[in-house]
This record gives sequence, structure tokens and C-alpha cells, in this order.
Amino acid sequence: MRARASSPRAAMIPGFVFAAAMTCALSAPLAAQEENALGRDVYDRWCASCHGYEGLGDGYAATYMLPRPRDFTQALYQIRTTASGQLPTDDDIMRVINEGMPGTTMPGWEEELSLEERLALVDYLKSFSRFFAAGEAPAPLTFSSPTRATEEALADGREVYELIECNRCHGIDGRGDGTSSPTLVDDAGMPTYSADLTENWYFNGGGTVEDIYQRLRTGLDGTPMPSFTDLIDAGVITDEQLWNLAHYVRSFAPEDPPGITEVIRAGLVEDAPLPDGVDDPLWESAEAFYIPMGGQIIESPRWFVPQVAGLWVRALHDGGELAVHVSWSDHSESPDTAWAAFQAQVLSALGPAEGDMEPGPRPDGLYLQFPMEIPEGMDKPYFLMGDPLEPVYLWHWESTADGAQEADARGLGTMAPQGNASQSLVSEAAFSEGRWAVMFRRTLENEDPGDLQFRIGEPVPVGFAAWDGDNGESRSRGSISSWHYIFLQEPTPATVVVAPLIATLLTAGLGVLVVARAQRREREGAEGPDEGDA
Amino acid sequence: MNTKPWKHPLGQAAIVVVLAYVLFEWGIWLLPPLFGVASAPVPATVVLQYMGTVVVGVLIWVSDSEERWKQFKAPIHRVMVDPRQKVLRTALMVTIPLLVAFMTFDRVRPTVSAPAALRSVHPAPPGQIDFRGETMVLNGLENPLRHEGDLEEHYEEGKRIYVQNCMPCHGDALDGQGHFASAFNPAPLSFQDPGTIVQLTESFVFWRIAKGGPGLPREATPWDSAMPAWEDLLTAEEIWQVTIYLYEQTGWEPRTWEEEGAEGEEH
Ligand code: HEC
Ligand code: HEC
Ligand code: HEC
Repeated sequence: MRARASSPRAAMIPGFVFAAAMTCALSAPLAAQEENALGRDVYDRWCASCHGYEGLGDGYAATYMLPRPRDFTQALYQIRTTASGQLPTDDDIMRVINEGMPGTTMPGWEEELSLEERLALVDYLKSFSRFFAAGEAPAPLTFSSPTRATEEALADGREVYELIECNRCHGIDGRGDGTSSPTLVDDAGMPTYSADLTENWYFNGGGTVEDIYQRLRTGLDGTPMPSFTDLIDAGVITDEQLWNLAHYVRSFAPEDPPGITEVIRAGLVEDAPLPDGVDDPLWESAEAFYIPMGGQIIESPRWFVPQVAGLWVRALHDGGELAVHVSWSDHSESPDTAWAAFQAQVLSALGPAEGDMEPGPRPDGLYLQFPMEIPEGMDKPYFLMGDPLEPVYLWHWESTADGAQEADARGLGTMAPQGNASQSLVSEAAFSEGRWAVMFRRTLENEDPGDLQFRIGEPVPVGFAAWDGDNGESRSRGSISSWHYIFLQEPTPATVVVAPLIATLLTAGLGVLVVARAQRREREGAEGPDEGDA
Repeated sequence: MNTKPWKHPLGQAAIVVVLAYVLFEWGIWLLPPLFGVASAPVPATVVLQYMGTVVVGVLIWVSDSEERWKQFKAPIHRVMVDPRQKVLRTALMVTIPLLVAFMTFDRVRPTVSAPAALRSVHPAPPGQIDFRGETMVLNGLENPLRHEGDLEEHYEEGKRIYVQNCMPCHGDALDGQGHFASAFNPAPLSFQDPGTIVQLTESFVFWRIAKGGPGLPREATPWDSAMPAWEDLLTAEEIWQVTIYLYEQTGWEPRTWEEEGAEGEEH
């Protein structure tokens, strides 16, 4: 079983290595596994549930995830320092074991397993494939040192990005929305999304400029992401230009990965009108908060492979109205027929758990969820759309509908729009270069007893959910967040200035008095004897 | 005159105050975890209160003996009157008011924080629950699979159930670091942590898995918890199997009913 002769790698390995592998007899890996009892124990205990006891990538949880756990018998490794088509070095394998592959279900094990255990694992993983037993130890490429990220370097990187057509897959703004994207599959035939370059914390091989450069040199074998070393060899671009490109790619993402915010601050706008569209320049100055999202795996039917990994939220108010701006990366403006076949592949890749789902046109969607009124104590409605006793109030937007609607829900799957007479939301949505931006606006207070009334200076619970239709998401299959809070900033109270001022004057005055008194006493003491200093 | 600072009462007082501050601010929070005991930062108001007590204590101690009190005051007095100390004196008279200004500003400036959620992580479990229409008495209930069938098989089934259902939140390494974990607050618990399943009987764990977040009492904020109720998705046998997996895989022993009885209703 382990020795599948029809491995796609066979075609990529030089003939003599392949022949050597054959003469080495198929039992070589087995013998190596027998000896490595520690490797096997640790592997069976911690890795087999995903990668399978035989290393075939068919563990219990395999059909719950995309990308699938790696099939080690194919000896295809994405994160290498070796040339495309080559085996990884031991250090390369160790690196992935230590750090995992961010953005996938593959976790890092550095803190969980001892060095001895991890070393044994490297050998054990290699023993799943004949190719390691056969050839020489693979030689890493030599990498030049990084250039500096100057303006010119970034401008050149940008030109290279277009010249060698990264945008074909990754899109102009790097959000993975290129025209080729819906056609991509990995070597195992599984649908594969082009990486979203604005989220470098999810890069499989790390998000630094050096990591990016290395991936560009080596490619991610087994995926559609190619190596670009041959372009250097052919003189199309220089090595320096590849560094420039790496800097440019790095610049798509923020300096640091976003922290998690519990409270979204809605800034007070005093001397300008509130934004009335998604592109209003006022949004640029508003603070952006990142809300991480996870799959809805709480109630059936569940969804294990959500595409909306996080939302950026901005909020502003002017004392009369609240405006909220939500944006996120999305490969397409669903429903997009170019992605229909891709969606079908995603749905068929998932196991039959959770009821069947037919591929079909589905919109993208988003909701903001609030309690019906600002809670007095800790109590809130259930974070997953409330329950029959404690309903929630929602702002719901769908890419195919005409504007956002106010809605109510009493539990997952019970969302119902409010009557026409109760609708009072203003909204606008725009899709551009792989990014959705949706704006909602409502008066803080209104006459509708079915709506939440906002109050300045009080934290209001808010939750989020989002759907990517072309990924097959709808209804209970999507991504969700916990409860967060939105806080409408108050006008700065005078005490903020006055209190420190008074405190300073008081202490300074007191200090002067005490010192003056001590000095006077000292002088008097020097004149009249025996005064002491009590 | 030139005594070592730690032999001088003023130096000693300063050392005690600084040490106390370090202990309250960071020690209580960071030290116990080194010994495997869970801890949390001390709230600022409580630190202030503790520091007040320490300062009063120190003052009582220095003024306790006439000699010490004199010694204690001497350097302070010198700074206030000695012409040679003018630079230091002026510096202190500027920085102290500024420090006070900053501290007041820090207190009155409008801060935005979520309402404090005083959540009970391990509330008292119900004495009995209704599981799929049948009454289960939790008090004294043991995991029946420990004496039934093959433990190895239960463990393997538990592993399958765990990776298919619990892994995205609780993590492959059972450390609460699943790939969806960052989306949920309160965070999925780590079973490696000495503060979770080690403290619990298997029947408590059964209850938590069966009834999930929505089954928690009010003091444990059921509306916030992303922990699903598994009653409809998993059978009783499957829940007992995944419970076995949690303990076997982490190497912890479940709390027994004898221990439970000995320590009363503490959770
Ligand atoms: C929860 C499931 C899961 C567990 C448990 C898991 N992995 Fe993985 N692993 C994956 C997935 C999914 C991938 C493929 C990611 C991709 O293709 O982008 C992967 C990929 C890998 C790779 C390929 C790296 C490369 O460069 O392409 C290695 C090596 C690996 N895992 C080792 C391990 C080891 C060793 C363990 C146990 C200590 C382990 N994995 C446990 C899910 C898992
Ligand atoms: C044929 C389509 C295609 C082209 C062309 C392409 N990429 Fe990719 N790229 C992908 C895919 C697919 C992935 C995701 C691979 C995976 O992890 O499964 C990816 C991943 C990446 C990553 C993330 C690496 C990591 O560690 O996860 C970076 C960075 C990247 N590409 C940059 C580029 C740059 C720069 C170019 C142009 C020089 C480029 N790509 C050209 C398809 C492409
Ligand atoms: C959607 C995320 C999620 C999934 C899936 C999930 N849990 Fe949880 N779990 C949590 C969260 C969050 C908590 C902490 C809050 C709480 O106590 O309710 C928790 C708490 C627990 C606790 C309580 C531990 C203690 O010390 O009190 C147990 C036991 C538990 N989970 C077991 C499981 C098992 C077994 C599964 C799979 C069958 C599972 N969980 C699936 C999120 C999840």
C-alpha cells in the first residue's frame, strides 16, 4: 500500500534515483520504521488522526479539512529550501513540525513535543517514502541576502508582480482573486485557493520577506504555486528583482498581524458629516478593528472550511447616527459563474457528514447581531443568533439583495426580516479587487420597539457572521464570531484636563510649602540653638 | 554617613515598597504558572489597596523606634535643605508633580473596556440531567466504559470523535489552540492545563460535553460559551469514549468520587 509506483513524483525524480529506489526493494521504509519505535509511537499518538496510520493523509479528520492532511508516501513537501521538484532537507521538515503551517489545520509542535521526539518524527515521516531512502541527501539552494525595502525597490517589485503575472492567480491587490484562481487544483486534484497576500500571518511557510523570497525560489511543490528560479536562470528577471518582488508582496499585509479586539470604538465625528458610502475618505482616518472568525461548527449542519477568516470593522457616530464599515477579502463577487465548478469541487471534497448540499448559485453575506436592548448586567442573548427566549436584532446584508435589512432571530436558522415599515437602515456595498466593503448606517434612537436603541458611552454587545457563497456557504454553513462590544465614544469630558491640572498644582504647592518650611526651620535652627527638626 | 543603602532605614523602606509592587503587579500573576498553578493579573485598584497597606506598615515600622525614625528622615531632610542638593531638590519638585499629573490623567481619562465578566469556569454541576429523554444521576456516576469492553478500542474511537468534532476549537494537542480558537471568547479550554479536566470527575466532563455552553448555569455566562451541546450529535457511549481519550491523551487522571467527597462541594 505504501509503495505506490504511480506516484506523480516518479516523473519528477531523475531516472537513476528512481531506478535506485526500485532496487532498494520496497521493504526499505518498513525496516526503517521497525527501528524507529519512538518515531512511530509519537506519530501514531499525535499525527495519525490527520495523516493516517499509513501516512496516506487519510486520517479520521481528513474529509473535514481543505487543504487535506499531507500524504507522506508522495514525498511532496511545500516548505523547502531545495529546488522545485527536490526532496526537502531534514531541517525543512523539522521547521514545519516546529512551526506548523499557518492558515491550515497543521499545527506547530515545538512546545508540545521534545526535541528527541521531533527528530524521531523527521526520520519516521521520511520512512513513508522510498525516495528518501534512495538518493543523496538533498542540497539546499544558496539564497542571497535581502535587499533594502526602498521606494524604488517596491516600485520595481510591483512591476515584476505584473510582468511575471502573479496577478493571474493572486489578483492586482493580492487578495487571491486572479482570473486563473477558480481553475486551480493541487496535485491530488483538490480545489486550491490562491493565497491571500494581505494576510501574511496565514502564509504556510511564514510571513517574513525572507520566507516569501524562499517560497518564490522554491515554489510550493504539490500546489499550483510555481518556483521562479528558472526566470532568474533564463535572465528574465534578476535575483535582486525577486527580492524587490518579495518586499512588494510583504507590503500587501500590515506591519504586524492584527491583535484581537474585544471592544470596537466608534469615534465621535464632530465637525464633518458622517460618511454616506463605503468609499468616503473619512473611513481612512477611522480606527480599524480586526474580528477573527471561525467556522460554524456548533449546530448541525456545521461548516468546517469557512473562507472568511476575519473582518475589519470601523465605526463612527455623530451623536445622532451610527455608521459601521465592514470589509474583508473574498475571491469573488458571489454568485460568480466562473467559480461554479470550483464550488462543486469544494462541496464534493467534504465528507457526507452534515447533510448533502447541492452546488448552486449562492450570495455572499454578512450580519451584525445585537441584543434587543443594552443589557443591564452580564446577561446577553445566546451568541449564536439568540434563542427562543432571548431573541437578537440583526443588520443583514446579502450580495444579491437590494440593500441591507433589519431582521430578528430566535436561534440559528430563524432569521426573519422585520416588516417594511420597520426598515430604517441605510447601506452601501462595493466589491473591488477581491475585497468586500459594506457600510451600515442607522439613527442611534428610533421609535421602533423592535430595534435596539444605542446609547453613547455604554458598551453594546455585537456579534458577526459572514458567508462566501462561491465557497458553498449559506445559512448555517458560514463563519461566526463571539460577542464583542461596540462603544460609542463620548465627547471628552473637561475633567480629563482639569483633574490632572489641579492635582499637579496641589502637589507642587504642597512640595514648595514643605521645603520652604524645612529650610526656614533650618535657618532658625542655625541661629537659635537646639531647635531640632521635628 | 556612608552606610550601604540596604542598611539604612530609608533604603530598606524603599526596597520593601518596590519589592511589594513587583510582587503584586507581576509576581502573583506570573510566578504560580511556573509551578503549574493558574493565575491572572491583579486588578489595578487591588494593587493600589495592597500598596497602601504596605506603605502604612513600613511607616509604622520606621517610626517604631526614635533612632530609626531620625535616621529615616535624615536624608529626606538633607535633600530639602542642603544647598549642595539644589539640583536634586529642583528635579524632584518638578518630577513628582508631573508624575502625579500623569497618574491622575491615567485614572480620569475615558477608557473603553468590556464590562468585567466574572465568569465561573467550573460551576457546581446539576445532580442529575436528562440525556436524550432518560434521567442520568451524575452524583457518584463513574465512566461505565472503564469496566466494559476494550479500553484500547474506546480510546481509538474517542480519538476519531475528538479530531472530527473537537479539534478545530480545543486543538490537536488538546491545548485549546485549535485553528478556530481565536474566534471564540471565552477561549476553548486547554485540557493540558492543570486547571481543567484534572480537577473534574468524569461525570462532570460528561455533563459539560452533553450540555455544552447552553447547559451552563447563569454564573458561567452560558450565552458567551461556544462549547457546543453534543447531546444530539453524539451518543452517551461516544461521549464516554471521547472522555477517555481526553484523559489518556493528556496523561491526567480523572478526579475520583472519594476525592470529591473529601473536599466537599469545591469546584
Ligand atoms: C489536525 C490535523 C493535523 C495533524 C494532527 C497533523 N497535521 Fe501535519 N498537516 C496537516 C495538513 C492539513 C497539512 C497540509 C497543509 C497544506 O497542504 O497546506 C499537513 C502537512 C504536514 C507536513 C508537510 C509540510 C510541507 O512542507 O508540505 C508535514 C511534514 C506534517 N504535516 C507533519 C506533521 C506531523 C509530524 C504531525 C504530528 C506531530 C502532524 N503533521 C500532525 C494536518 C495535520
Ligand atoms: C498559477 C497560479 C499562481 C501564480 C502564477 C502565482 N501563485 Fe502564488 N500561490 C498560488 C497558490 C495556489 C498558493 C497557495 C498554495 C497553498 O498553500 O496551497 C500560492 C501561495 C503564494 C504565497 C504564500 C506562500 C506560503 O508560504 O503559503 C505567496 C507569498 C505567493 N503565492 C506569491 C506569489 C508571487 C509573488 C507570484 C508571482 C511571482 C505568485 N505567487 C504566482 C498560486 C499562484
Ligand atoms: C466551537 C468550539 C468548540 C468545540 C467544537 C468544542 N468545544 Fe469544548 N469548549 C469550548 C469552549 C469555548 C469552552 C470553554 C467555555 C465553557 O466552559 O463552556 C469549552 C469547554 C469544554 C469543556 C469544559 C472543561 C472544563 O474544564 O470545564 C469540556 C470538557 C469540553 N469543552 C469538551 C469538548 C469536547 C469533548 C468536544 C468535542 C466533542 C468539544 N469540547 C468541542 C469550545 C468548543
